[in-house]
Amino acid sequence: MQKHEQISAANSNTSSLVIEQLTIQRQQQVLLSLNETIAGGDILTIMGPSGSGKSTLLNWLTGMLPKGFSAKGNLYLNGQSITDTASHMRRIGLLYQDPLLFPHLTVSGNISFAMPASAKTQRQADISQALSQVGLAGLEHRSPQSLSGGQQARVALLRVLLSQPKAILLDEPFSKLDSQLRQETRQLVFEQIRQHKLPAIMVTHDQSDADAAQGKIISLF
Amino acid sequence: MQLDKQIFPSTICNIMKHIVAATALGISVYACLWISVAYSQPHKLAAWELIETRGVNQDVYFHAWGGDPQINRYIQWVAEQVKQQYQITLHHVKLTDTGEAVSRVLAEKSANNDNNGQVDLVWINGENFAAMAKHQLLTPNWVAQLPNFALTDPDNNPAMTRDFGVPTQGMEAPWGKAALTFYYDSLLTQTPPQTLQQLNIWSKQYPGRFSYPKPPDFLAMSFLKYALITLNDSQPETIKNRLYQQADAQSQALLLPALWQYLDDLHPYLWRKGQHFMSSGLALRRLMGDGELTLAFTFSATEVPAAIARFDLPDSTRSYRMRDGSLSNIHFIAIPYNAAHTDSAKLVVNFLLSPKAQAKKQQANVWGDTSVIALSQLPAAQQMWFEPPAQSHPSANVTNQDISPALSEPHPSWTKVIATQWLQRYGVMR
Amino acid sequence: MITSKSGFNTLVRSSPYLMMALLVLPVIGGLIAVVLPAFGWFPVLGHTQFNINGFVDLWQTPGIGNMALLSVSTSFISTLLAFVITILILASYFTSPWLGYIQRLLGPILVIPHAAAAIAIGFLITPSGMFSRLVSPWLSGWDTPPDWLFPHDAFGLSIILGLTLKELPFLLLMALGVLAQPELGHTLRAQHRVALSLGYCPMTAFFKVVLPSLYPFLRLPILAVLAYASASVEIPLILGPNSPPTLAVAIMQWFHDVDLSLRIKASAGAIVQIALTLMLLLSWWLAEKLIKKFCQSMLVNGKREYAGAIIQNITHLITVMMLTVIGLALLGMVLWSFAGFWAYPDLLPKTFVTQHWQSALQQMHTPLLDTLLIGGCATGLAIVLTLLTLEAEQHTNKTVSRLSSVIIYLPLLIPSIAFLFGLVWVLEQINSYHTFINVVLAHLLFVLPYVFLSLASSFRRLDPRFSYVAASLGASQAKIFWQIKLPMLLAPIFIAAALGLAISFSQYLPTLLAGGGRINTITTEAVSLANGASRRTSAVYALVQMLLPALGFLLAWALPKMLLTHRE
Repeated sequence: MQKHEQISAANSNTSSLVIEQLTIQRQQQVLLSLNETIAGGDILTIMGPSGSGKSTLLNWLTGMLPKGFSAKGNLYLNGQSITDTASHMRRIGLLYQDPLLFPHLTVSGNISFAMPASAKTQRQADISQALSQVGLAGLEHRSPQSLSGGQQARVALLRVLLSQPKAILLDEPFSKLDSQLRQETRQLVFEQIRQHKLPAIMVTHDQSDADAAQGKIISLF
Repeated sequence: MQLDKQIFPSTICNIMKHIVAATALGISVYACLWISVAYSQPHKLAAWELIETRGVNQDVYFHAWGGDPQINRYIQWVAEQVKQQYQITLHHVKLTDTGEAVSRVLAEKSANNDNNGQVDLVWINGENFAAMAKHQLLTPNWVAQLPNFALTDPDNNPAMTRDFGVPTQGMEAPWGKAALTFYYDSLLTQTPPQTLQQLNIWSKQYPGRFSYPKPPDFLAMSFLKYALITLNDSQPETIKNRLYQQADAQSQALLLPALWQYLDDLHPYLWRKGQHFMSSGLALRRLMGDGELTLAFTFSATEVPAAIARFDLPDSTRSYRMRDGSLSNIHFIAIPYNAAHTDSAKLVVNFLLSPKAQAKKQQANVWGDTSVIALSQLPAAQQMWFEPPAQSHPSANVTNQDISPALSEPHPSWTKVIATQWLQRYGVMR
Repeated sequence: MITSKSGFNTLVRSSPYLMMALLVLPVIGGLIAVVLPAFGWFPVLGHTQFNINGFVDLWQTPGIGNMALLSVSTSFISTLLAFVITILILASYFTSPWLGYIQRLLGPILVIPHAAAAIAIGFLITPSGMFSRLVSPWLSGWDTPPDWLFPHDAFGLSIILGLTLKELPFLLLMALGVLAQPELGHTLRAQHRVALSLGYCPMTAFFKVVLPSLYPFLRLPILAVLAYASASVEIPLILGPNSPPTLAVAIMQWFHDVDLSLRIKASAGAIVQIALTLMLLLSWWLAEKLIKKFCQSMLVNGKREYAGAIIQNITHLITVMMLTVIGLALLGMVLWSFAGFWAYPDLLPKTFVTQHWQSALQQMHTPLLDTLLIGGCATGLAIVLTLLTLEAEQHTNKTVSRLSSVIIYLPLLIPSIAFLFGLVWVLEQINSYHTFINVVLAHLLFVLPYVFLSLASSFRRLDPRFSYVAASLGASQAKIFWQIKLPMLLAPIFIAAALGLAISFSQYLPTLLAGGGRINTITTEAVSLANGASRRTSAVYALVQMLLPALGFLLAWALPKMLLTHRE
């Protein structure tokens, strides 16, 4: 963990996600307009009913805007424009409501998959350390299907964090967890985001999520 | 008196008995005489009438090779005719290989299905006939019953009762005659080879433009038999005659080397350098149409003008016979021993042998298969039916037809010998 | 679910057994009837002693090694190629709308019978064919066709080309079918997006994330393709070499040979063919295990990008080439069917005529009617059996066992050349007079697995709560089946029916053998004409062969739509 903190700290001065003059249209109709700057460690919450364009915004941020939509505006990550960068080159991590762990890989395989290429032993050590930090010590070689919902959510979080993203998007990340677990997981996720000083955008329709994020809340209609 | 009275009636009874017996004897003797006198013609007709009454209004399954649309159309015409005449529904079972019918009858025999077989008629000759005859899969002695069989004049035409030299024993009726005919694209070569030796020279001038199919295809075997006969033509009669007897080790050693030597020499100049031979003889015609071959051959000469009319061959195609001889044979129709509709099958075959059906079959635009009827047996009016039409494509006029001697088929055992050894020599490319 | 003992429920409960019997008995019976003669028991020829003479004969056949090698190599390479190209196309176009376009373009190829495909490809690649004409004489200088040994080359390259082009659409559509399953497809696409967000290039993301989950669903179709290719007859017969041919073609020729004693050798050959096919299936399975073991560590090595761009470009090239080949092959068929004389090297026929269509259509009605009748009966039976078996699954609350699901695919995995000849003999014993029924039963063997394959996933996916709701409202099982499940499954049933019809339409050997040649379908006519002299007639029959199943799919696509709009 130490190593990552250092990297994050080095980036912390410039760490920001800027959405500049964004307008997304669908068949000549404006779906949403946005102009926001998110500093590292801040969480911008987007709320709104389904169909309000929340997931379309996420799709634009990840460069996966489907056919039929058009977008104007720019996206800057740490001062660099990534508006036209391919999805996989953006280094924006994604956390969904489903953990979406890869069933053909073990817990440690799932995390290792996300980490940059490096020496195998070093990676294994990092993974074990990270797992024990979130209370999953010793589960390296379990298959994801054998874990509980909360455990899966934590592995998914570690997977995103250890991929060393420069920003993070949360798509209804806690909606499938029951209330006790929800609170715990939420706390863990937000803690880690702040610790890593990552700019984050969270899409949710749950007011308690929004409150816990302690950041700006934008409601889409 | 009483006694007399008693004796008298008994005497009368005895006398009466004798009279009755004598009368019975007389009648039976008379009947025997009558039968023996009447046997030759009227009885035969009566038997045929019986077949005619029993045979109508049934289905007949005719297993015949179905690779030629022209022949298929002719069989369809036959079906329409027998429907009209006898209410027989003729089904053409289209085979890709006559061996399929042979195996079917064999399977039925192994299943003890001895009188309800699926094959009523089969178009056959040569090897297939020999195989079916050997395994007793055919009905014997029925051909002479057919009134129209007499039209082939079998007494003066021994070929009508011999299939590749093997006596048919009434197991199959002749249907048509064929002779090996060559055809070429006159735009690409003006001087097609006239003999087997010229063929070798021509192939070297036009490499890759001639081929023959792969044994055991029928057309392939015909070409190889033509070559075998022609190459051994200079041998003494005693040796040559062994071609028409069962092939044995000695006769093979005497006759075959000339063939292999010729083929060894020819093959490098064939289509695909002799490394690939078409599986089906019909492919030759397709390759002519594609322009890959310049010279090919067939057993039914009139398929050439017909194919030109259907655009399958170039208009510049011409046909001819080899001056050193043309292999000739007759093809037959047989009834399997277990056919379900024997009488109807006989009615169909009798129709196939009728002047009407034979004349139609001989027309170039129908099928062009030479008739087996001896024209001398027909009234002059019917002989006219067999005249070729005045206007026809130049390729319908087969040159050398009159000067090319007819070569008879060797004994069927040679077919297998040639095919097996050919496959050993050339069947696996190295 | 607890069910009552009604007539419907008894029918449903017994149908899985009926289905298994209909699939297993003919195959086993057919195999026994081939094993016995293979070991010398052939009473018709007076052989009633068991021996291995058939195998000795087989061993001594010139070129037997080449035959086996050709069968093994062509089927393995073509299956591998088809699989690799399928994966490349999926990987390259996974997130692109092109995947849908390619699916729509390749879909029709799936229903083209093998014989028709072989005829079409043959014309394309032959020295006087379309490719050669395209470059002649302006580029190549050829005024007459070059004398090349292709197709029919000894290495079987033309067979590989034909099989690959025919297998590829099948595998691709199978894979797309898996991806179209709502839950699984959604998850796989989301996981792909996760991998992209983790910095993986789309190609690598597909190989590392989607493929490992997708492959298990493709395994059975791949094995079926491999088994089919190893013993297929039509494509090697039309495109392959004959000195020597593939083992399956040789076996068929021996079975049909005039010399009846060759049946013993043919039966021995059939046994060897089964062994070869099993060996191939086993090799594939082993290769799969090895690759999995070898690649496991690569999955998590963190490398995001291999030669993605190059592979992508290669895939574009392959896709364009493939679509060109298919397009030109189809165009060639259409041109031939209307061609007047068409001399080499003309790119187009000199004249166009309709006489080939006219004369063929005149002769076509009986075979056409038989084709439709047999297809209709076999497909109808297959759909009823499949629906009842799937319904039984829900009654007993368990899916068919692993053994049963293997049995369903048995006719696809065992080379048909090996058991069909025996099956004909068995049918001969039982019922030799009703050939129509025999043909329908033989077709059912091949139609049933595909119908089951196509219908099972939709049926199992049906939300069980609909049935629970209906049952709680007092509806009987029969009522639920007829009034709830069937209407909801209307579209998949039509698709399965179209698939079943297409499979039935394309059957050559089963029709030929079970029908004893008495029943002609468009396919048997097309194959017997393919070896014939006229490209033009062959083209007409091949096109009709292609049009029939296409029509079926068009109806399957349009009918449910019409019925539904009608309801609205």
